[in-house]
Amino acid sequence: MESLVLTIRKHDVAGWLAKLLEGAEVIAPAAGPCGEVVFSRIDSPEQVLWSFENPLSPPKQFVLPQTEPIVKIQLTPQGTEVAPIYDDKRRVLFNVRPCDTKAIAYLTQMFEMEPSDASYLRRAENLTVISLGCTTPCTLGFCVCSDSGPFLTSGYDVQLTDLGEKYLAEIGSEKGQAALSDAMGLFGPATEDEIQQRKTLETEARRCLGEETCHFGSAMRRISTRRVDDALWDKMGNWCLECGGCSFICPTCYCFSVRDRDGDGTWTRCRTWDSCQYASFTMEASGHNPRSQHGERMKRRFFHKVSAQYYLRDGMTGCVGCGRCIQACLGATNMPAVVAAIRKRAWHEL
Amino acid sequence: MNSDVFLPRIARIDAVRDETPDTKTFALRFRTPEDSEAFRFLPGQFVELSVFGYGEAPFCIASSPTRPGAFETTIRRVGMLTYALHQLGLGAEVGIRGPFGNGFDVGGARGKNLLFVAGGIGLPPLRSLIRNVMDERDQFRNVTILYGARTPVDLVYKDELKEWETTEGVELHVTVDAALPGWTGNVGIVPVLFAKTTLRPENTIAYVCGPPIMINFVVQDLLLRGFQEESVISTLERMMQCGIGKCNHCAIGHRYVCRDGPVFNFKQIREMVE
Repeated sequence: MESLVLTIRKHDVAGWLAKLLEGAEVIAPAAGPCGEVVFSRIDSPEQVLWSFENPLSPPKQFVLPQTEPIVKIQLTPQGTEVAPIYDDKRRVLFNVRPCDTKAIAYLTQMFEMEPSDASYLRRAENLTVISLGCTTPCTLGFCVCSDSGPFLTSGYDVQLTDLGEKYLAEIGSEKGQAALSDAMGLFGPATEDEIQQRKTLETEARRCLGEETCHFGSAMRRISTRRVDDALWDKMGNWCLECGGCSFICPTCYCFSVRDRDGDGTWTRCRTWDSCQYASFTMEASGHNPRSQHGERMKRRFFHKVSAQYYLRDGMTGCVGCGRCIQACLGATNMPAVVAAIRKRAWHEL
Repeated sequence: MNSDVFLPRIARIDAVRDETPDTKTFALRFRTPEDSEAFRFLPGQFVELSVFGYGEAPFCIASSPTRPGAFETTIRRVGMLTYALHQLGLGAEVGIRGPFGNGFDVGGARGKNLLFVAGGIGLPPLRSLIRNVMDERDQFRNVTILYGARTPVDLVYKDELKEWETTEGVELHVTVDAALPGWTGNVGIVPVLFAKTTLRPENTIAYVCGPPIMINFVVQDLLLRGFQEESVISTLERMMQCGIGKCNHCAIGHRYVCRDGPVFNFKQIREMVE
């Protein structure tokens, strides 16, 4: 698709959002009941926040819900009836940061892999992602280390940039184009100067983010060739509290389990989030557990996210550098800390 | 787009046979002829079986694709789902997804000697291939089956073992870890049976399945006796949820037991990095 770059005046954005709200559920960063920032469904354009620290919970729940009904099971006099459950609601994720936008593209790639998963893909097909470039870098992010920010070159439907008086809107897909079509009158073509301004803002944001702080490359070489000592994994495993928080707040983690909910002749088979850090994740009914040691489970998590084997398969690391695990992990076994420990062959001591 | 990856097909229990005090073989027949027709499998593949209300779990297919109609699966009672399954009687309905996994390369085994080494409940996945081989007997050379269980009571397919014992061109040796009164056969772990037979490593494929510790011992033994890593084949077991390589429960490195396996040769198993 030919790249299309438009602008919209800030006071016209409410009009555009009103149009989006007419045709879809709009989810955006908004103030929660106690003033905290959360991704939530909005009812009016004023609720959308434009200057915010990325919420601790990523927007992945709107495309891969924590508990997602996938099959309806009913016992009838004629026998067992089963039917798939799909969610075809149109949704717009508005003002999503580039790291989270790239994470959703990653998730979609995982579920597109054959055999593809319609429960996820039908939701993803009805989802439009409007990304907001980071002109002011966040505190904990290291997106520059995994090519996931502060701006993206692809993976978004629309990418917005705050130019002061206006927003620049880069259209990245047909879905992005469709998201503007009802409000096209509010948009105008971007000038050369405005496009140049967007580039300057990116350069400035990169300067603020500074040097790379999470060196995936050297950690990848060691993890991929079994050159990380088991003793180091064990040590890191000893720090992890097995809360699973890292998996749940990670925008790219997609491990799941399938459970039958409710009872009495009618059940809903649900997909629920799970975490590879739980001992029960690999526990077999016989009691045998191929990853009974905590260090082995740490190794699993970081092999999936950082190994060359997965990098070659997926075209990216399983980390978008959002920095949420730094905030959430009580045991300090977050991504940059583990990557550093692998590089230095030593865990940091307090 | 594959629209129904999570949708089970309904099958009915056609027959139930007690194998051991805690193991039963279920013959399952799909409710509709269309589902029956669509269900084409290879030895070594598995299904996700639903006991509604309890969920799903992976079980290998224990019958041969050369015998269409109902298919069989042999299941030990170890957890909530298998306990509930063991309570079900004839005509009860269960859900089936699959078949999943790669299965054994039956074509590649033609013209070769086949050595089957099984421990305990590890015989069912091999039995699918054994029965397939028996039904196309002239296409394979010597067939040797070595089977061990904890006690004589824990041996599965007791009637079939007797049948194989007397089948021409099939060599069967059985052992138990601990004998019970009346047992006159071999006593000891499975590798003791290697001394009972002539191994021909150069033109033999060895299929090994059983508890992890038994697999380790047997594979090391076979390699020492001159088998190539590529011709020692095992079928792995892991906790699984989806069967399609997405839920990550069965991942070993970047390989998925449900999709890339469960059948791997020992070279592939050794090269798994994690």
